[in-house]
Order: sequence, then structure tokens, then C-alpha cells
Amino acid sequence: MLLFLQSLLNGILLGGIYASYSAGFSLIFGVMGVINLFHGEMVMLGAFLTYWVFTLFHIDPFLTIPLSIVSLFIFGYLVQRFVINRVVEEPPMISYILTFGIHLIIAYTALWVWTADFRTVTTSYSGFNANIGGMIVPYARLATFGLALFVVVGLYILLYKSEVGRAIQATAQDKEVARLMGVNINRIYAITFGVGAAITGIAGSLISTYFIVFPQMGLPYTIIAFCVVVLGGMGYIPGALWGGLILGVVQSLTATYLNAGLSGAFTFILLFIMLVVRPAGILGKGVVE
Amino acid sequence: MGLLEGRNLTKYFGALAAVNSVDFSVEKGEILGMIGPNGAGKSTLFNVIMGVYKPDRGEVVLKGKTVSGLKPHKICRMGIAKTSQIVQPFAQMSVLENVLVGGLYGRNLSFTNATREAEEILELVDLGGLKEMASGSITVPHRRRLELARAIATGADIILLDENMAGLNPTEIEEVLKLLRKIRNQGKTLIVVEHIMRVVMGISDRIIVLNYGEKIAEGTPSEVANDEKVIQAYLGEKVCFV
Amino acid sequence: MVVILITVGLLIVPFGGFSEYFIRLLAMIFLWIGKTGCWNILSGFTGYIDFGAVGYYGVGSYVTALLMSKGHAPFLLSILVSGLVSALIALPVGLPTLRLRGAYFGIATLAFAEGMKQIILEFDKTAGVNFFEGPHGITLPIGPKNEFFYYIGFGIMIIVIGIAYWIRRSKFGYALRAIHEAEHAAELSGVDTLRTKVKAYMISAFFLGLIGGVEAYWLTYITPHMVFDLLITIQMVVMSLLGGIGTVFGPVVGASFLTIVYELLHRDFPYTYTIIVGFIIVVVVLLMPKGIMGTLQTKRVIQKTRPVQ
Repeated sequence: MLLFLQSLLNGILLGGIYASYSAGFSLIFGVMGVINLFHGEMVMLGAFLTYWVFTLFHIDPFLTIPLSIVSLFIFGYLVQRFVINRVVEEPPMISYILTFGIHLIIAYTALWVWTADFRTVTTSYSGFNANIGGMIVPYARLATFGLALFVVVGLYILLYKSEVGRAIQATAQDKEVARLMGVNINRIYAITFGVGAAITGIAGSLISTYFIVFPQMGLPYTIIAFCVVVLGGMGYIPGALWGGLILGVVQSLTATYLNAGLSGAFTFILLFIMLVVRPAGILGKGVVE
Repeated sequence: MGLLEGRNLTKYFGALAAVNSVDFSVEKGEILGMIGPNGAGKSTLFNVIMGVYKPDRGEVVLKGKTVSGLKPHKICRMGIAKTSQIVQPFAQMSVLENVLVGGLYGRNLSFTNATREAEEILELVDLGGLKEMASGSITVPHRRRLELARAIATGADIILLDENMAGLNPTEIEEVLKLLRKIRNQGKTLIVVEHIMRVVMGISDRIIVLNYGEKIAEGTPSEVANDEKVIQAYLGEKVCFV
Repeated sequence: MVVILITVGLLIVPFGGFSEYFIRLLAMIFLWIGKTGCWNILSGFTGYIDFGAVGYYGVGSYVTALLMSKGHAPFLLSILVSGLVSALIALPVGLPTLRLRGAYFGIATLAFAEGMKQIILEFDKTAGVNFFEGPHGITLPIGPKNEFFYYIGFGIMIIVIGIAYWIRRSKFGYALRAIHEAEHAAELSGVDTLRTKVKAYMISAFFLGLIGGVEAYWLTYITPHMVFDLLITIQMVVMSLLGGIGTVFGPVVGASFLTIVYELLHRDFPYTYTIIVGFIIVVVVLLMPKGIMGTLQTKRVIQKTRPVQ
């Protein structure tokens, strides 16, 4: 029983993280119909940013988050403005291929420059765990989970309580009408992408505290983001939370009761089944092309 | 029994019945007009007939056989073709090739026969001179005639025209009407949906009227034009009584 | 005429005293043309971009590896079985996924290929059977020299391109193109779109599996990471894109060019090649979406169909 609860808790904590970096993916698709296959690279860049700042300047990883936010926002904004913006009016398959090309460029340049070595961010408090009713919860994970939820909630607030957020929503719902209302569509696209990149970067920074950091870590994260977002509903932000939690729990339970390798296979099988059977997500709120 | 019949057809989208218990019947060689305000369910009904949607209730019966729920390509091969509101040519293929596809797959003809048929049909719709042009680069009125040509090429006995004449000027409309009469005289049956009253009234043998998914009237053009319910339905609607 | 000369020329190359390296390079080019060409049959002609092609390649590799190393089966039989197995798997995979819209199809096929890799990786633990040595690898019997693979590759290339050429001019080809241009209209015009797509997918899978088997024999040792490598699919995508996706000879141009670039770069600058591939993708998508052959063809069509008024 305890094993089950521990596994479940691990899954939930994991799921929160998944949700935090998948939200950006969902946002980008929901607003501009772009499927971003270099999403995982933004996680990687956030992670590496934290790693280098921590290693070179000994700044605590959690304190590097503002840096991640700014850098990744600028990165996302510029890439969207000058590259992605040319294909937003095209069918999603085009952006799929294009962003895959960008994924290759970023991942392999990183591989070239930083080498394939695995890196970790080990702080003084890395090994410390909380003990809740017999279950072990690393403090770092707990803090990360908390921050992840914060990110999702923060995104929600941005979208619903701010003017920029409303402009973004308007653009997502009806581009032409938003344009007529005076919204600068191109600027909103760029901002949205920047925001998506920024929150993904935060997730990357957080992840570096207990997952291994290496240049090719991106693609599996992209696939996970896919799975989360398809489960929760493409373009439906709160769905990223459900999707993340479900996936986190499924993976954790599979790893505990079957074997770790199979949890990877399960992710793909789950994704495949969802796409075929219910592409609009579990709650049916997703955008289906 | 008509060539094509719809019995108690109902189709829901969520909680809304886009088509609600609609009965209709078309005889061979007839031109049936279908009118109704925007959103009345005309296109949905066409899509149900064509197999794009499976009806939640009721059936579509073609030549005595129930075809509701079959896939569109099967229904096409059995004898019904439809033109779309938003024209969809095979843009990179030539005008001739577009019509060719209809003959190859709608009628399962050989290449030689299908090509010959396609050229004849293009002459019929007066697009013969454009047959080598990429269909994506011809004008919209020409594209609409191409849609029609492709539908004819499938060998369909019944052609559903979904606002095939939208956006045409009066001269162009007259030409299409002449064409439709020619086609009918060759033995085809037509169901025509149009917003331009003059067109529908002028060409239809009979008319059915839909409103909010239900059939509210049926009869000859003059019967329908004088029907209280029909006039009510259109009050407040912008209608072309030209 | 030129084509015949080139073909004859290629046939006698191995007797011309060229280096082993050159023969190997040409053989690799032939096989890449084969892979890209058959991938193009579905993805290029219909526009349903398959991101899981390597799944069939990998399956083919493993089937041949197992048949030849444990079953002592002859080479030709093994690769044919590989092709058939792949094609058979393509049926239940294709039927549900080919109903999905473009990008979702891409994700689903990607998931399929990665899933396949994981399954093979877990196969021995789960199924309790152990075929593998070390990291789930299999060693095949030592094969003949490069010349053998040169001719096999040549033959496969001719067959695949020939089939692509034939399909394009056939009734089937018209259906594929109609699906690409306006799928709904095609369906309304009598084309059984699902069946057509699945057929193309199965043909593609057959050859991918076949070639997977051939290359497994050539490599002599395979592991899941080698034969289910996503980069193999990406190569097919890029070679098609560059050469001209949807054209018959696009794969020939794209595969030849990129294989040579790969050979030049990958030893000394392993990552540079992939970075270049990434750039090519970006450039082609933004500036030259029809690829080399496609752009040339469009110029010709425009000249042919100047409006007659």
C-alpha cells in the first residue's frame, strides 16, 4: 500500500512538472496553430542556462529563473517574428516540419558546443527529503512542483486578467475580428511564442535540479509535451494540468509495477491510442485541426 | 417511390438538431429546389445524403436501397454527386484531369474512355478551351463549372448543387441555368440549393423549404412563394427577389 | 537515351577498378534513393507526411537478422519476408492513423516508430525470450563484398523509382494526387480515400522493411538504436524535401546530394551534418517548398499553360 502511495505521489509530482512545460506547447498551438517540435529544446536551453550560471557563478538554481524567463522570452519572440511567422497561415504540417528543422539545428549545435556529457545541478540541499507519512519526498521536487503549479496558474492569470492576455485569446478565437479590433496580430503571435518559451524555460531550469542535463534531452520532452497536450486537449491550457498528472501517474505506476523501460513505451502507446480514439483529449475540449 | 428519398432524417450536432425529421422525395428527371434561411440545415441535409454525416435517425433511400451511413465514395459510385459551396478543384491538376478523376473513380472507366468522356463533358459545360490549364489558376465562375463537370463525370444520376451559383453575375447565372436544363434533359436529376430566389423559382419543378432544420413547406414554386410559413421564415432575412 | 547510358555505366562500375570506397558510396546512394523513393510514395504523393517510416525499416532489419542468424534462412527469402511483415504491420497501423489530419498523422506515426523501438528494447525482458546479445543487438552471418550490395541496391533503386514512376501515371496515382489536393472532393468523386492511402502506406512499408533487411545484412550487427533511429526517417524527409517532395525523381536528386554531403562530413564533423540538415529543412520550407525538381517542373507547367484568351 505504501509503495502504491509513494508511486502515486511520485507520479503526481512528476505530472506537475510535465504540466508546467507542456502548457507552453498548448498555448502556442492554440493561438497560432503551430506545432512546435523544438519545444523540448527550450526546456534544454533553460536547463543549460541554469547549469552554466550555477556552475560558473554559483547562483542557486531557483534564483536563475528570472534569467531564464527573460532569455527564453527574447529567444522565442525573435524566432517567431523572423522565422515561424512566415508559416502561421499554412496548415500545421508545414510548421511541424519547419520546427523540426529548427530542433535539429538547436539540439545538434548544443551537442557540438557543449558535448554530449551528462551534467547535473547538485546543490547543498539536493539530497534532503521530507518524510510525509512514511513517503519520501525530496525537497527539491516539492519546490519544483509548487513552482510548476505557480507557472500554470500564472499563465492562466495572464491570459484572463491582463490586456495582453485578452488580446492573445481574441487572436486565438478569431484572428480577423481581433485584427479589426486593433490587435496587432504579428506582435501578439511573437509575444505568445515568447511567453510559451519563457514558461518552458522556467520548467527547464527547475528540471535541471534533479534530472540529467544534456543537449539531446529535448526530443523526449517534446514527445511528452505532445502526449500531455493531446490527453488534455490541444490548445486547452487547463487540460495540460490533467494531461500532465495522468501521464505522470501512469508512467510512475508502470515504472514501479512493471519496469522502467516499459514506461517509455507506454507513453508512446498512450499517445498513439489517444490520437486515434480521442484526438480532442479526455475532456474533449481540444482543437482537432 | 422516388429515385431518391429521405425518410425522417435527423442529424444532431451536440444538442442541436441541424436537420429534424425531414422527409423528401425526388423523381427521375426532376429539378428539386431547396431553400431556407441561412442555417436552416440545407448543407447539412446534403451532407447527410452524401454520406459525409450519418443520420442519427431516419434513412436515405436511393433506387430502393438504403444508403444512409455508407461512405461518400460508395454513394458517389451508386449515383449521387455533390458540388461544394466552397469550390475544391484539384488545383495542381489540369481542368481535364480534374474531370478525369470523376470518370476514373465515379464510374470506374478506363483511362481512354474516361478521357473521352471528360472532353465531351468539358465541351458541354463550355470549358473545353481551358482543358490544359491548371485548375487552380482559372476564374471562380469557371471553377464552379468545373465542379459541376466533375460531378457529371462521376456518372451520377442525381447531382446535388450546393450554392453552385453564389457570386455569379446575372449573365453567368443565365448560362448556368441553361446548362442545368441541358443536363436535366439528358436524364439527370438535380437538387438545387440557392439563395437567389429568382434562380430557384425559375428552374425548379418543385421546391422544399427548410427552416431551423425542419421542412416547413413543399410544392410548386408559386405555391411555395405564397405560403405564409415561408414568408414568415424569410421576414427579416436579406433575400434576393431580383 | 541518356538514361540508358547512365544505367549501363552504373552497371559496369564495379568492374572499372574504382576504389572500394567509391563502390560503397554509390551503393549507399542507391539504397537512400530506394528508401526516400518509397517513403515518397505515401508522403510525397498524398501529403500525409510519415514520421514513423524508420519503424518499418527497423522491423525489417530485425526480421532479416533473426531469420538469417537463428533460422539460417537465405538472404533473398529473408528480405522478402521482412518486406511482407512490415507491410502487414502497416495495415493495422495505417487504418486508424490515416484517418487523422496531416499533422496528427505525423505525431501518431512518430509515436509508432518510437514505440516500436521501445518494444524491441523491452522484448526480451517482457516476453522472456532472449535473442539478443549485449544491448539487444543481433549479429548476422558475414555477408559478401560491397559489390553484392552495390547490385542489390541498384536493383532496389530501379524497382522503387520504377514503381513510383508507374504509379504517378496510373489511375492509382491520380487518386493519390487528388487526395493531396482536395481529399474531401476526391472522396465525393468516388475515390476510396482511406483504402488508397492505406495501399500507398503498405507499399511504402514493404520496401522500407525490405531495405531494412538488406542493410542489416550489410551492417552485420544491429541494435535497436541503430535501426530505429529517428534520424533515418528525417533523412528521408529532407532528401525528399530537397529533391522535390511528390515528384518521381526528386528522391534521386535529394538522396544523391545529401548522401555525398553526409559522407564528406560525418567522420570529421559528426554533428555538423545534422545541423546542415536542419538548415536545409528550414530553407526549403521557407523558400523552396517544392524542392529542386518541383520548382523545375512548375516552371515548365507555367510555360505550357499560359492563358489562351
